[in-house]
Parts: sequence; C-alpha cells; structure tokens
Amino acid sequence: MLKATLRSFLAHKGRLLLSALAVILSVAFVAGSLIFSDTVGRTFDRLFASTAADVTVTPKETLDETVPSGQTLTLPAALADRLARVDGVAAARAEVDVDGITVADEDRESVSPTTGAPTIGTAWNPTERSPVELTSGHAPKGDAQVLIDADTADSKDVRIGDRLTVIGQEGSFPVEVVGIVTFTTTNPGAALVFFDPPTAQTKLLGDPKAATSISVDAADGVGDAELKRRVAAALGPGADTYELRTAEEQAESDVEQLGGFLDIIKYVMLGFAGIAVLVGVFLIVNTFSMLIAQRTRELGLLRALGADRRQVRRSVLTEALLLGLVGSTVGLAAGIGLAVGLIELMGLMGMNIRATEMVIGWGTPVTAYVVGLGVTFVAAYLPARRAAGVSPMAALADAEIADIGRPLRLRAVVGSVVGAAGAAALAGCAVSSETSSAASLLGLGVIMTLIATVVAGPLLVRPVIRVLGGAFPALFGSVGRMSQRNALRNPRRTGATAAALMVGLALVGGMSVASASMTESFDEQIDKTLGADFVVQNGNFVPFPREITERIRDTEGVGLVVRSQFTTVSVRLPDGDRVKTTAAGYEPELDEVANITYAQGDTPAALASGHLAMDKDFAEDHGAGVGDTLPVEFQGGRTAELTVGALTDQETAEGFGTQGGIYFGLATLEKYAPGGQDAAVYVNAASGTSAGDLRAGLEATLDPYPQVKVRDIADYKELVHDQIAVLLYLVYALLGLAIIIAVLGVVNTLALSVVERTREIGLLRAIGLARRQLRRMIRLESVVIAVFGAVLGLALGLVWGVCTQQVLALQGMTALAVPWGTIVAVVIGSAVVGVVAALLPALRASRMNVLAAIAHE
Amino acid sequence: MSTAAAQHTPGPASADGTAARARGLTKAYGSGETTVLALDSVDVDITRRRFTAVMGPSGSGKSTLMHCLAGLDNVSAGQVWLGDTEITGLKDRELTRLRRDRIGFMFQSFNLIPTLNAAENITLPMDIAGKKPDEKWLDQVIDTLGLRDRLRHRPSQLSGGQQQRVACARALAARPELIFADEPTGNLDSRAGLEVLGFLREAVDQLGQTVVMVTHDPGAAAHSDLVLFLGDGRIVDEMERPTAEAVLERMKRFDVIRGQSDGRGPTSSEER
Repeated sequence: MLKATLRSFLAHKGRLLLSALAVILSVAFVAGSLIFSDTVGRTFDRLFASTAADVTVTPKETLDETVPSGQTLTLPAALADRLARVDGVAAARAEVDVDGITVADEDRESVSPTTGAPTIGTAWNPTERSPVELTSGHAPKGDAQVLIDADTADSKDVRIGDRLTVIGQEGSFPVEVVGIVTFTTTNPGAALVFFDPPTAQTKLLGDPKAATSISVDAADGVGDAELKRRVAAALGPGADTYELRTAEEQAESDVEQLGGFLDIIKYVMLGFAGIAVLVGVFLIVNTFSMLIAQRTRELGLLRALGADRRQVRRSVLTEALLLGLVGSTVGLAAGIGLAVGLIELMGLMGMNIRATEMVIGWGTPVTAYVVGLGVTFVAAYLPARRAAGVSPMAALADAEIADIGRPLRLRAVVGSVVGAAGAAALAGCAVSSETSSAASLLGLGVIMTLIATVVAGPLLVRPVIRVLGGAFPALFGSVGRMSQRNALRNPRRTGATAAALMVGLALVGGMSVASASMTESFDEQIDKTLGADFVVQNGNFVPFPREITERIRDTEGVGLVVRSQFTTVSVRLPDGDRVKTTAAGYEPELDEVANITYAQGDTPAALASGHLAMDKDFAEDHGAGVGDTLPVEFQGGRTAELTVGALTDQETAEGFGTQGGIYFGLATLEKYAPGGQDAAVYVNAASGTSAGDLRAGLEATLDPYPQVKVRDIADYKELVHDQIAVLLYLVYALLGLAIIIAVLGVVNTLALSVVERTREIGLLRAIGLARRQLRRMIRLESVVIAVFGAVLGLALGLVWGVCTQQVLALQGMTALAVPWGTIVAVVIGSAVVGVVAALLPALRASRMNVLAAIAHE
Repeated sequence: MSTAAAQHTPGPASADGTAARARGLTKAYGSGETTVLALDSVDVDITRRRFTAVMGPSGSGKSTLMHCLAGLDNVSAGQVWLGDTEITGLKDRELTRLRRDRIGFMFQSFNLIPTLNAAENITLPMDIAGKKPDEKWLDQVIDTLGLRDRLRHRPSQLSGGQQQRVACARALAARPELIFADEPTGNLDSRAGLEVLGFLREAVDQLGQTVVMVTHDPGAAAHSDLVLFLGDGRIVDEMERPTAEAVLERMKRFDVIRGQSDGRGPTSSEER
C-alpha cells in the first residue's frame, strides 16, 4: 500500500506543485519571522550585555512615557565621584546620552536616520565596553567638535571637516566633524554623535553639573549584584530616587525598549504567515478533492481488490503528509532566505545585523514542520475521508465524478446557523454602547460570518454566478455559456477556489471602510476644532526645542503663537481608579486657535493655575465633577492636587494611548514636569498679513530646522491621512500575499479542471472551436470565479467595515465613509486576477493535441 | 464566415461528385529505423451523397485515414482535398474553421459537452462560428432523429443511443460537406446501434449528405454504399453494396494473410 501511495504521489507531483507552493509560502513566513526575531534578539542581547556597565545608576522613571515629552531626566554628575570612592568600585563615570537631538548638515538636511530612529548625542567616554571605536580623526575637544558614526557618515555623506548644526533642547550650535567612529558590534539603527563630556553637559543638558546616568565598574572579585548592593548602600536614603541596574538588568531593560519595535515586525510577519496558512488550506483542500475525484475509479479498484477504508484513507493522508514534509523542508529553506532578506532590509534602514550570525533555534524547524504538516494534514483530512467512502463499484461504473451530486444540505444548515449567530453578534456590536464589549462582539461576529460564508460559499455559487455570468451567453455566445456553466459545474470547487480570494478581500473591504471612516471623522474633527492658521510640529509628533518656538514668535507677520506640550500623568480618580494617560498643556489663548465644546466651564477655567479639564463621559464614569480635587502624579515624580475646572464634550477623547482627554494650562505642566519641549505650536497671522505671506515667512524661519514643518489645515489633514495610510499599506501588503495565493488557487483549480476535461476540450476542438475561443472560455470561467470571490469578500468586508465604524463611533469617529472607488477598483482588479490566473491553464488547454485529447481516458 | 454560403455550392473540383480526395497520402510515426507507416501512399476519393465505410483490422490505419481526411491530423506526405480546398498545409486556425464549417463529426463515445443541453449541443458548431442555424433544416434533422422531446435534456439525462442521436444531429445540423463517424455504434447495444446506422443511411438517402464511417463491425459496414478495406496502411480492396456476410468473409481473409505473413494470429488488442 505504501508503494502504491508513493507511486501515486510521484505520478501526481505536477498537480501537487501549487499546493506545495502554498505550504512553502506559509512555512517560509513562519520560519522567516522566527529566525529573524531570534537573530535580532540574540544580536541585541549580546550588544547590550557587552556594552552595559557592571552597575548603571539612572534617575528613576516614575511613569513609563506614553508620549515623548522631550523631557530629559538628569542626576548630578558629582555622584560619580562619590560612588568612585565606594569600596569595591574600580571606576565610576558620569555619562550623558540625549536622544531626540537633531543634527543638520550644511544643506540644512537632517542626518537622522530616515526610519525615525533617534539621533543620540553622547559624551565621548571611550572604554573597552564602548560599542564603537575611533577609526579616523581624533577625539572631540572643546564645544565645537564632534565625532559621528560611520554608518550615518556613509549614508548621509558626512566627512571629517564637515560643518554641522546640532539642534538640542538648549538651542542650536555649530560643530565640526573631527572624527569617525565605527561600530564594533551591531548598530541598532540610531545615529550617534559624540561630544567632549563638558560640552555634552552644557550644550545638551544645559547644566555643567548634570549627567543622565552613572556607569560603575566593579573592582576585581566583586560581583555585579554585590556591587549594586554596595552602591545602593552608599547612596543612602536618596537611593529610591535612582534606578540601579546590574549589567544583566540593564541589557534586559534595553532589549525591552527595543522589543516593541521588534515585536511589531514579528507580528506583521506572523500575520503574513497566518494569511498564507488560511488561504493555503483552501488550495490544498481543493487539490486533494479534485485528485480524489479524478481517481475515483482507481480508488474503487483498490477497494475492489481488498483494500479497506482505513487503508485508502491512510494512503491519501500519507500522500498529504509527504506533501507537507516536502513543502515544510523547502519552506524552511525559503524561510532562511526570507530572514536573510529581512536582515538585509534592516541593514538598508541602518540596523546592521550580520546575516552570518543567524540564529536558528530548535523551535524554528519544529514549528516549521508542525505548521507545514499540520496544514496539509488538516486540509487533506476531509478529502481523505471522502476517498475512503468510494465504493468498490466505482471501479466498474462509468460515473465520472462522484463529487458533484452530493447535496449541500449540511453546509446549508451549518452555514445558516453560524451565519445567523455571526450576524447577531455583529448586530449586537452595532447597537452596543460599551467599547470593550462592542469590540469583542465585532471580533466574534467577524470570525463567525467568515466561517459561515466559507461553509455556505458553494450554496451561493449558483445564484450569484447565474447573475454575474448572466450576460455571458449574450456577449460571448456558446463560449460564454460554456464558461458560465463550467463555473457552476462543481459548486464546491468553485466555492473553495473563490473562498481563498474572498478571505483577503473581506479583510481589505473591512479595513478600507474603517480607515475611510476614520479619515473622514478626523477631517470633520479637524475642521470643527482647529482654528489656527498654521500648526508647526514634527511629522512623527516628536517634540522640538524652545529655540524653534522663539524663532517663530520673532517671524514677521506672526500674530498669535500658542504652545502646547504633552506629558504623561497618572491621575487618581474619585472612584479609586488610577489612570495613566497622556495629558496636554496649552497656553491660555487656546480659544484663538481651537474650538472646544464645553459641557461645563470654559477654557479660562480649564487652564487656570491648579486646574484641569477632562471629558464629561470620562468624568461621569469615574465619578468626577467640576470642583473635585484630584491627585495627579507627573513624570519625574512630582505630584499635584489639581481641581477639575471644566468638562469637555468632545468627540475624540480617547484612543492612541489617551484616556479622558485631560489637559491643563501649560504653566501647570511646566511647573510639575519641567524641561519638556513643545509638541506643537499654533500660529495665527497678525492682522494685515495674508496666510500665504505668513507661510513663506514661517518656512524661511524654519529652514534651518529640518525636524519641523509648517502645516495649514489641509496639510494637517494630509498628515493625519498619512498616519492612517500606514495601517492601510500593511493591510494592502497582506492582501497582496493573500491574492498571490488565491491566484495560485485559481490556477490550480483551472489547471486540474483542464486535465479533467481533456476529452471535452478535444471534442470541442474537433468540431471547430478555435484555440482563441478555447482560451477565452477558460479565461471567462476564471474571471467569473474571481469576481464571485471578490463580490462575496467585499460584501462581507462592507458589513464588517460598517460594524467596525459603529465601534469606532463610540470613540468619537462618527463619520461613515464607504470608499466606493476602492471597491470598484477591487472588483475590476479581481477580474484582472482572473484573467492572469487563466493564462497558463488556457495556454495548456489550447496546446492540447486534439487527437490525444479525444482518446484521453 | 463570409464564404459560408459559397461552401455549400459545389465548386469546380467537386462538380464531378467528389466530396474529399487524397493522393499519395502517407502518414508515418517515429523516425529512422523505427518508422511505422500508418498510411502508405493512399489514393482515395469519397463520392458525394454516398455512405462510405472504412474497414480493416486493428492497426490497419483506418482511423488515421479518417483523421487525415478530416483535418484532425497532419500528413507526412501526399495531398488531401476537401471539395476543391487542399487541406494539406493549412494552418491550425484554417483547419479549425474548416472542421467547424464544412465537416461534421461523430465519435465512439463522449460526443457531447456535458454542460450543454441537447439543443445547445446540436447547434454548437454554428454557435461557435457565430452563425444562425437554418431553422427549417434543423427542425427536419431533429424530427428525423426523433429528438424533439429531448432538446432540453442534458447529456447525463440521455441514454447512450439518444446521446449518439444528438451527436448525429449535431453532425448534420450545419449541413456539412462531409460527415465523419468514428465507430459511432461501438459503445451501443445492437438495437441502439441499428437505429443510429439507420439515421446515417437516412441522412444520405433523404437529406443528401455524405458520410464516411470507420468501423470494425461488418454488420455496421453493411449499411453503407461502399466499403473500403484497409490493410497495413493501404487500400487493399473495396466492395459496392456490401452485405454483412460478404464483408465478414473479406475480413476473415485479412486474418489468414496476417496469420501467414506474421506467423501470428489475429491481433486481439482493440483499436481506439
């Protein structure tokens, strides 16, 4: 029996090719993402472990920042001298590391990495643990010399002798590049600029006696943990204002900070793998179903010769496992290639990881094979059961395909039950008023309606394709009639083929409705609330130095300037909840540049010293009201008792790490969280100055500052659109993969159908069907299948999108927008996909030898 | 399509009543030492309005002859004309059009497109060509074959005999110059087979069609006007107004000759 299975596997290897490709793609994405994250993780573990000092002392971060505030926490540099005298300490150094500086070259272009990774200004304290070494030039001396890392120098074409401008929190100053340093370890992607230590303290921190951390080296024979204990003891009662970390703990904390970014890449990759698996399953199910249908007589013969059901089933499953084995092996190899590609890509983005140091943990091949074998096994299980059900009589009967006639009753029942439940969940989510329950109902509804549509897909084939292909006979005559009927011939097959396309397009449909609605809502909001002529801010919402604000103020034609900052606060509410969120601080003239609707109170009350404003619904939920005094903790450890001065009635109070829409006067913010930088500056023109003149003036002023841009309301909308578009691009990339596999599925189905219909094709050719007409027949069938999948997917996606919008509406995004343009484009695109998918099968069919085809068994 | 009407009027070469003609028709398979001659310089004339049967033992080349005459297969040497058109040397596109417009086909089995009903199958060649069928003629054909109440049926709903009758109707529907039938009764029981042969006979006698039938059944050949006997790629004999007995006797002589020349008995493998 095994021999028969092997023979059969080899005999059908051509037909299994596309299924194998689906397995390979899924496994490659899974393996690639695992290898990539393992490699990057290991590289950084090593980097941070080798560069961390035995013990590092930093100011305590009381709150993890939810937004960059621009604030740099410092400690006294003199602490280093105190610690150096502690028993067991070999050396202690005051370090200065400031991220978020901007360095502009002579053309006033930023030398910062284009990826958005920070530019870090650091005091030049070379030790054996430095991640870099000086490879040319000399160490910086005085306040006008810097070193720059070689990767940045290469990519931005900076050489020794070049003059740069450093734009730090304390102001900008000119420097000259006097040396280049090269990473001895992996470059995590940031741009590094090194200063003479006193310069770093005075120019970057604005305080010659400050530092950002103290590195402590242990004397021989003193362990890191022991050293940490002694340092803590030496710090005495002040120790709890500092964070002490051993080398190991410091490395862990560094990796954790980088982790967020790496996790995103990992999850994106796993998302791709998931789509590949999901769509690939349809392809494999279809292939095995078709192979079994074609081999009905052969299987009947096996049964007649005495093979029992179990043996037949096992034979088919063995074939599937062989496919899985081959697919997983190739997929694993492809995964390694993918990981190399990703590492190279990271290299292009400035993160230099050596591909030769690739880490393939034992988990990777195990996962690869589990995924590959699992997917094929699951996908082949039902077809295998069906194969086992072939009666020995099938060997004798002339019946061609046993599969067609089986009733779809079970599918109808399961489909309508699951579909009804899914629809109920979606309806529930649409009427729900609680964000969290609405979101979980949405998730449940999406999954259930997807399952229902996949299960019931074959039932929809007849009615939908009758309509879609209804004009075919009129347009294309008997060729059109035959292609429409061929698509209807086996609803199960057409349904499963189209399902692969449907899944991807449903996702896109849903996401595009949701994002169009978000965009529309933001537009409405911006129109309604933003009253300023211009907004000056960083594209990534990173704060910028005060110097820029001062320059704006001095620009001719500027009437009013309103500054704003963000900070992280932790608020204790009357109901006992402690909420950590982003809060904003505004200058008192806020009403001049924004239109805020208040439920109670007004802007002066909200921004008054010692007061704050919050969203009325948030306040209600937590039992707060105007006049209540709330304890608020700020970043840096200061606390304040702030009084609720006003309640707002805004639409978007939540989202993006923000809760409650809390804000207060900028003076309040600066009092409790000093040292922050401006996140946005709102500018109105002076009377008599036109917007165009003001814009030109501001652009001239800001020319030396590449990190910020002037935006009017239209530009500002565009910025928001771009932020949403990033999400959409990711979805489109996922869609791309889903479509590739779906196309493979259509190609697969058509190719196998062509083989199955060889005699029919021979007959058609014999009685005078031209090759061109034959190709058209197959193309039309392909198009109708693809469009069927698209219509089903988009219909599902529209429902999902509208329900998602209902959930978003609870967050204030009340506008519903359906991107009809995108939807029409997707339908047309799916027809193109159909045409493309039909290319090879149609060519193959038209190349068939007429006589051989007629004689085909 | 523009010449569709002209094709039904006899051209100068067919004025003498020849529907198809082959001269020196040779078909070889393989090359060098292993060359097998399926047809060895065959000269043949198919007369209009006659029912010609092609007989011969398995491997005699009778199916190959039909395929070459019908433009389904290319020839190694020689020339073939359909009416006054030389078809040897025509490109696939022209051959396809020729088959569609001027030739009707019946095969042993799998004659119909399963997704189309009887009526759609019958008019398929004309639909492919984008031509309107001649309704009067179509009605006559359908009535002659007794298919009036089966027109809406799919092939799977028809018996084997009915399916062959539909195939016969399709071959006749476009009123082709020539109908080729390859073992049309091979898969039928004797009653259904007789019925189909009767219709082919009627097509010639009543409807004035020209039919060439390849068969190995002497009983079937007996319905024809002329039997051509093929042996080892050559036309070795012909018989006018055949009877089943006479054909059977003639066929037996093949077996004897073969048995003597090859030292083997009659081949048992069935020709497709």
